[in-house]
This record gives sequence, C-alpha cells and structure tokens, in this order.
Amino acid sequence: MSVPEKKLWAAWSRFLNGLVGALLIGFLVPILVVVAVSFQSKSYLSFPPTEFSLRWYQQFIGNDDYRSAILNSMLIGASAAALATIAGISTALAVVRAKVPGSTIVSALSVAPAILPQIVLAIGLFPISVWLGLQGTLWAVILAHAVIGLPFPFITVCGALASYSNRIEIASMTLGANSFQTFRLITFPMIRPAVIAGFIFAFAASLDELVLALFLSSPSTRTLPLLLWEQLNFQVTPEIAAAATVILAVTSLLILAATLLPRLGKDN
Amino acid sequence: MLQMQGRSATTGQNRAAGGAAVSIRNLCKRYNNFEAVVPTSVEIDSGDFFAIIGPSGSGKSTLLGMIAGYIDPTAGQIMVGGRDIIPEPIYRRNIGMVFQNYALFPHLSVAQNVAYPLKIRGIAKDEIAKRVRESLAMVRLEAFASRMPSELSGGQQQRIALARASIYRPSILLMDEPLGALDKNLRDEMQEEIKRFQQELGATVIYVTHDQQEAAFLADRIAIMRDGAMTQIGSPRSLYEQPSSRFVAEFLGEASIFPVKSVSQKQAGQPCQIVLEDGTRAAIRTDGNPGSGRFACIRPERVTVGPKARGLDNVYTGIVRESLYTPGSIRYRVELDGTGCALKVRVLPQGNTEVFETGSSVDVGWSADDMTILGE
Repeated sequence: MSVPEKKLWAAWSRFLNGLVGALLIGFLVPILVVVAVSFQSKSYLSFPPTEFSLRWYQQFIGNDDYRSAILNSMLIGASAAALATIAGISTALAVVRAKVPGSTIVSALSVAPAILPQIVLAIGLFPISVWLGLQGTLWAVILAHAVIGLPFPFITVCGALASYSNRIEIASMTLGANSFQTFRLITFPMIRPAVIAGFIFAFAASLDELVLALFLSSPSTRTLPLLLWEQLNFQVTPEIAAAATVILAVTSLLILAATLLPRLGKDN
Repeated sequence: MLQMQGRSATTGQNRAAGGAAVSIRNLCKRYNNFEAVVPTSVEIDSGDFFAIIGPSGSGKSTLLGMIAGYIDPTAGQIMVGGRDIIPEPIYRRNIGMVFQNYALFPHLSVAQNVAYPLKIRGIAKDEIAKRVRESLAMVRLEAFASRMPSELSGGQQQRIALARASIYRPSILLMDEPLGALDKNLRDEMQEEIKRFQQELGATVIYVTHDQQEAAFLADRIAIMRDGAMTQIGSPRSLYEQPSSRFVAEFLGEASIFPVKSVSQKQAGQPCQIVLEDGTRAAIRTDGNPGSGRFACIRPERVTVGPKARGLDNVYTGIVRESLYTPGSIRYRVELDGTGCALKVRVLPQGNTEVFETGSSVDVGWSADDMTILGE
C-alpha cells in the first residue's frame, strides 16, 4: 500500500470513529438529562439540577394513576411477550426445520412488525378490535403488542436453530423420542438462551410502546408510556422525568438480563 | 418398553433361524423428475455386516434415510421381522443410527447421551445406570461418563454415538459414513473398533460409505450403487475378482481395462480367444458366456513383470513409463509395444525383487484365469 493511500485509510477510520462517538453521545446525553432532572426539587424541568432530591419519586410512588399504569404495563408486557415467544418459536421451527412452502414469505411477515410503521398497524387494528369487542380491554393491547414483539423471538430462535444441524433432532427420533419429547428434551434446551433473549426483547418492546396503546387502550388499561404522554400534554413536572427514569431502568435491566442470562444457561 | 421386548424377541428368532433381518422390496424414491433410488430389492441376513458403497449422489444415503424413516419412500416395502415398517414413524422403528457428524446432544453429558434412549423408554433409573456402564465399557470410555461431548475427540465421540445407538438393542444398526469426518489413522483404528463391536453385539449392520477399502475391510457383503441402483451385490472377494461391469471393476480397486472387439466361441475346458479394439490378442478363461462382454480387465497385482512373465498365457513386451516405490508395493505403468496400451502393474516386493527403472524394456504377462470380461 502506498503512503498517501495509507493516510487516506487512517483519515477514513478517524472519521468513522468520530461518527460512532457522536451518535453514541447524541443517544446518551438526553437520557442522562432526564435522569438528572428527575433527582431535583424544583417543580419544573430545570437543567442543570442544583440540589439533589427524591421528592418527585415520592410523588410518583404515591400516585395511583402511575401505580395502575405500571401494573398494566407489566401485565401486558409479560402476556404479550409470552404469546410472541410461543408464536416466534413455532414460526422459526416451521421456517428453519420444516421448511414449509412459502417459508420466505412467512419469515418476511414475521420480521415485518419491527420494520413497518406502527401507526399503520394501529389504524388497522383499531376497527378490528372494535369489531371483536376487545376495544378498551387489556386483550386488545396484549394482542397488538404480541404482534410487534414477534420479530424478536423469531429472529433469535431462527439463529439458534440454524446454528446446529437437524441431524441432532433426527438422531433423537431414531433413538425413540417422538416429536414432542424431542422438542422438550433436545430442541428446547438447545434454543433456550435464544428463547430467553427473545422473550426479554419482546417484553421491553411492549414496555415502551406508545402508538398502539394510544389507539387501543382505555383509561383503565392505560400503560405507563401512555400515561406519560397524557401527563406531558397536561403539565410538565419532574414527576414525568422520574417515571421515565423508572422505565429506562427497567428496560436497561431487561436488556442486561437478555445478554447475561443466555450465557449463564450455556455454562450449566 | 413392552414393545421393545417384543421386538428383541423377534430379532432373537430371526437370528436363530438365520433368516433375513431386513428385506427391501421394490423400494424407490423419486424427487420430481429425478430418481434418487430406482426400485431396489435386497435381503440382508441377520447378523450380517452389509455395506453400501458408491460415488456421491448414487442414492446410498437416500436408501439409508428411508430405512431409518426420515426420508419417505415413493413406493416399496421394508420388511423387518416380517412386518413392513414404512407406515411406522421414525421413533417406533427401533433402529439404531450412527451419523457422520456423530449427532451427539451437546447439552447432555456422555452418560446422559447414552442413557437417552432408555430414559425415553421409561426404564428404571438403576437399570439405566447399569446398562450405561456396560455400554460405555464396550466402547472403552467408562472414564468419560461425566464429560461433555465437546470435550472428546472425534473418534471418542463416534464411539459414544455407537454406544448410544446400540444400548436399546435395536434390530438393525445403520451407519451413514461414520468415519467420514476422521483422519486416516483414526479411521483405521475405528474400523477395527466397529468390527469388534459388531461381532460382540451380533448386530445386523447396514453401513454406507464411499470408501471401498473401508467397506471391504468391514463388510460380509457389499452392494455397489450407481445412479440410484444396486449394480452388483456380493462378498468383497467376489466383487473384486468377478466384477460384472467396468464401473464395478474401476470402483473397487484398480484395474487396467481394454475395449474388446470380438470373442471366440466358448469351448469346454479351453480358454476363449479375444481380440481387443487395437488388434491385440489375449486368452481368457471364464465360467460365464463372454459373448456380451465389452471390456477385458486385468488387476495390477495379477500382472507378472520381468523374465518370469515368459511362459504365461498372455505375454507382451513394453516399456516402463512410470516406476513408483510406495510402502509395501512397487507400482509401474507399462506402455505395451505396438499398441501403446497403458497397463497398471503392482508388485509386492520380496528381498530379491528386481526394480525396473523408467524407460526400461520389460516382459509382462498374466494367466488366462486372471483376466475377466465385463459389461459397461
């Protein structure tokens, strides 16, 4: 490689490093601002914070609206993630192992909810949920969130299934295990890390989803992001920052778990 | 469990009667317009080591997959113990299978892998423990019971796969290129291991490989597959000494093969006279009617080189074009005078064997008994 060419590459690599750094800062700074704002005593969003206080957290915990919204979010998140995971495993098995006819279309459809605009899904789901009589119930949001959660377990389980040969499952069957036993004793233990990761990502996706919740829930099934949205329209207090920080903390913990749990599973 | 006992009782009867363990009748597999296996019938005796060899794509693995149950046949029957097993799902066939890449369960220990088929059959814990110990002792890996498969070498993994596939005393043991992923030395060692294992177990084995030496070492009978059909079935010796076709002669061992122009009428007790395409004459003794044969075949080790060749039924002169010393044998390529035919020769050297250098003129010859005549 000639010397000017080398310099060009060095400059290019400096540019890329700088770009990545700038994007990460652009992502982290607003988050840190929200966290910082939540720990102060003034009754408006003031930055930088001057004194440390847990005042807004106390108010947040004492607020019944927030308490029921958190409960709804957890219930919806767990149910939606469970449904998405069961559907994701089944679809991944059909696509990777059974290679059903049209499996390319099936996998495209399973990944689509992560790519397509959620507003379109929301507009389409609203009349369906009214028609089915689910509008305003927890089920409406659970089913909608199961749809947007599906890509995560589908992608992780597809990856896990593709990482080993189906000979392992054929071997299990020649040894006398039927399909169900083979799944329970061989396939599932082998894809378990991927299943756990997929579940957690689907849960996290439900936890901070706003658009579908906006269309499909009622005051009694309000989720935490939806409540935040309503509060923002009403009055902006650091209580919102405290609630946002709680969502952030829970989601971060989930993502940490998604990366750590599968590794623990592998060691056993 | 009841079912398994019933099945092994049937196997016992078969063995006592020396009957067929597996009887394949008109079994075939067609994919769209491609016939992977043409209608094939073959009987495999109880306790037999039956090898299927052939180039890749010849249908041997498809045949094995149909017996195991993970490939659905287009038509035909597979009779095991007097019953057609094709309608039975793979997990009820009670057939053991060993795969090329071992297919051990990576998340289970060696002992758990071997115990798996017994656990599935609901056998009591202490009985399982006892049989796992016995089975691991048979493959000489008792000390490895608590290891994970990934901690074992390829050869050890394959021995575990062997123990796992036989611990439930299946009526038939299928092996699909079980040594294909191992290196040469380990392969030789494992061949002996498999042979010993099969004899101790008295199992009926159907063994697929593309390695003809491996098949000849292990098998009682070999089927050679080509384009989805078994072209010839027989003992390693009969396939080598009486190949029915040029394909078989070339696939199993080495051979010099010459196109035949005409064959004289067969006369009792007398060798036939044949004329090759290039005009060379040769004498050949054969049991069958050589009239339809299109090729004459001579194995390299049946050719005598040097002065001793004079006086044999077929004697020619030629020039050594290639002289190669390999451990245990000397190989020559001799160009026959006049016609330029290339003849492969292999000599097992003794203390006083003369080695001919490239370029030297030699006499070559062979007996009329050693030449065979073949179809396409």
